[in-house]
Amino acid sequence: MHLLSLTQGPLAQFLRVVDLIHEALCSETPITKRDMYYKDVALFGSQSTVNTLVDDIAATMDVSRSDLYVRASAKGLFCGSSLVMHLHSGDVVRGNDSKGALIPPSEDVKRFDVDERLAWVLVVEKEAVFQTLCHLDFSRHASLPGPGLLITGKGYPDVATRQLVASLGQNLHHRHNATHGSCYYLLIRPLLYRIPILAVVDADPYGIDILSVYKFGSSSMSHQDNLDTPRIRWAGVMASELTGLGVSKENLIPITTHDEKKALFMLKRSYIPRKWRKEIQHMLYNRRKAEIEVLSAAQNTMDLPQDKAVRNMHECLLVRYLASKIASAICSCAAKAAK
Amino acid sequence: MASAELRAIAFVSLILLHTQSLAFLHAIDGAEAHTDSVWSVLWTPQDAVFSASADGTVKQWTPTSGQISRSQPPHTLGIVSMSSADAKGGKVLWNTLEGLTCLWDLEDGEIKGRWESYVRGKEDNEEPAWSVSLHPSGETFAATGGSGNITIRSADPASFGARKSTLPSGRTKFGLCCKHSPDGTRVAMSSEAGQIYIFDLAAEKLLNTYTSHAMAVRSFTWSPDSQLLISASEDKRLIMHDVRYNASGSAGKPGSGAVATLTGHTSWALCADVSADGKYVLSGSSDKTMRVWDLGSRTSVSTIQDTGEVWSVAWRPKPAQHGSAGEFVSGGEDGVVRWWRSAGAG
Repeated sequence: MHLLSLTQGPLAQFLRVVDLIHEALCSETPITKRDMYYKDVALFGSQSTVNTLVDDIAATMDVSRSDLYVRASAKGLFCGSSLVMHLHSGDVVRGNDSKGALIPPSEDVKRFDVDERLAWVLVVEKEAVFQTLCHLDFSRHASLPGPGLLITGKGYPDVATRQLVASLGQNLHHRHNATHGSCYYLLIRPLLYRIPILAVVDADPYGIDILSVYKFGSSSMSHQDNLDTPRIRWAGVMASELTGLGVSKENLIPITTHDEKKALFMLKRSYIPRKWRKEIQHMLYNRRKAEIEVLSAAQNTMDLPQDKAVRNMHECLLVRYLASKIASAICSCAAKAAK
Repeated sequence: MASAELRAIAFVSLILLHTQSLAFLHAIDGAEAHTDSVWSVLWTPQDAVFSASADGTVKQWTPTSGQISRSQPPHTLGIVSMSSADAKGGKVLWNTLEGLTCLWDLEDGEIKGRWESYVRGKEDNEEPAWSVSLHPSGETFAATGGSGNITIRSADPASFGARKSTLPSGRTKFGLCCKHSPDGTRVAMSSEAGQIYIFDLAAEKLLNTYTSHAMAVRSFTWSPDSQLLISASEDKRLIMHDVRYNASGSAGKPGSGAVATLTGHTSWALCADVSADGKYVLSGSSDKTMRVWDLGSRTSVSTIQDTGEVWSVAWRPKPAQHGSAGEFVSGGEDGVVRWWRSAGAG
């Protein structure tokens, strides 16, 4: 065997990862995958090499990544004063209504406190949209029936973000929510009901794939199955509703060959819900996709339902669109609980 | 009033009545709706109507009653293209979103051919098929797709899908639509970039390239006499192209290309069909309307409102009775196959 391939090939990479894990375990100091990669960039070549090796090792040994003392570096953000996270270290991460806070890895979190008035959770694919909503104080916006939580994974979510959303999905279904302000709300009987967890992603194959990671889990980490949020719902954006919102077809973006291949691949997955399949097919037939930002480019004509909760809005279409989706999700959650 | 003035008024009134818009009435809806958009409809000379949908099914309808007479069980993916030929008892060809092409023999109702265009052969490096078209003889079919060329393939069940020839367009822009001319001499293809290519089948030669559109040409239609080609584009327009051609290459002026633009739709023009008598063009659009255009005056003479995007339209091929502008079938976003007929004299 060539000496070079021994020192630089897959075997060397594997041994280096095992070595770093062993070091972390012996010194009881967790290491992030990013740290591992930077220890020997020349050897690994790319971050994904490290990621794959760590996942493979964890799967082979039938342990979680955190059992190997490999923790994720914080990537995801959350915004909303309704959530306070207490860490093992004694630190407290308090949510803020106008600024995002980093989501710490779940192994660092001792407990989290959720304000009982929390009415909704919105997961947003892209950081740019998340920041826009933070600046608008969206988590406490007057047009919404109650305070909420914004979360973003900045694209494909890391373990910490998925863990937070999954925990919210499991723990937030027996909340008593007192009536709050507007007369629309007084009509809802204050019974126990589930708080909706909604996702807003781009109307393209990658957006829908990100949504499926939150809802069904990631195919590369299927052995760590407490990270899925089956009750998360796709609130938007759907290309099929855009003309009703005054967005003309000229604002839609042509799909790329990558989009085509990704879309066809997703259509082959049996667990993809029918509604998602319809949208993906339509995207392929029109050969167009849409980003969430298209709502900012649209005119102000639209036929959103005239709920009292959204009636007095003067904000942009994006905010009105999201508020309308949240309000109707809260309504349907309440209706289900009332049965 | 003086009698001269009365005559003038009567004369003007007669002219106005003559140029009055056509009216079309909603005749009947299909008994059952597809569960997703209808992307393709056909009306054959045997008076059968076929619809193909995003829900993966192909249905055969009786136009007078709106009842389904035959149906194909659903594919896992939607049907993006459908074509028919009357030869040999009648055949219907369709292609799914991933590129599975099937041939339905109408005589015995069996599927006689299946071609997985997404399986790459050694010598065949074409992208999966998107749009397919049966030759009027039923012996071959044309396919186009991501590679931007037309391939002519066998429609014989024994060798279904086998490539017989390739007609290159010279570009690699996605081929959205291909259709044979009714006289069987030529096949045309339209691309995502807006070009329309016409090939002579016998000589396997590119005859013409039309660049009348700068945006995608979603679909086009040949006139029954194979002399006109009407394109429907995302630029919201339909363009009439004079494509007269003498296959033997002898006397007669060749067609002059784009001769008229039909404007009026406020969003993408999605489909077009020419009536049997060659007088009218019917178009469907994502502005949720259908329009009927008079080919002589090149103006819109009727606008019909639908509930959603109109993906496909087809005239009844039988020439209309005197005094009637004819009947047609439409399919679109709501999954319902709808029949329409002329309200009276045009």
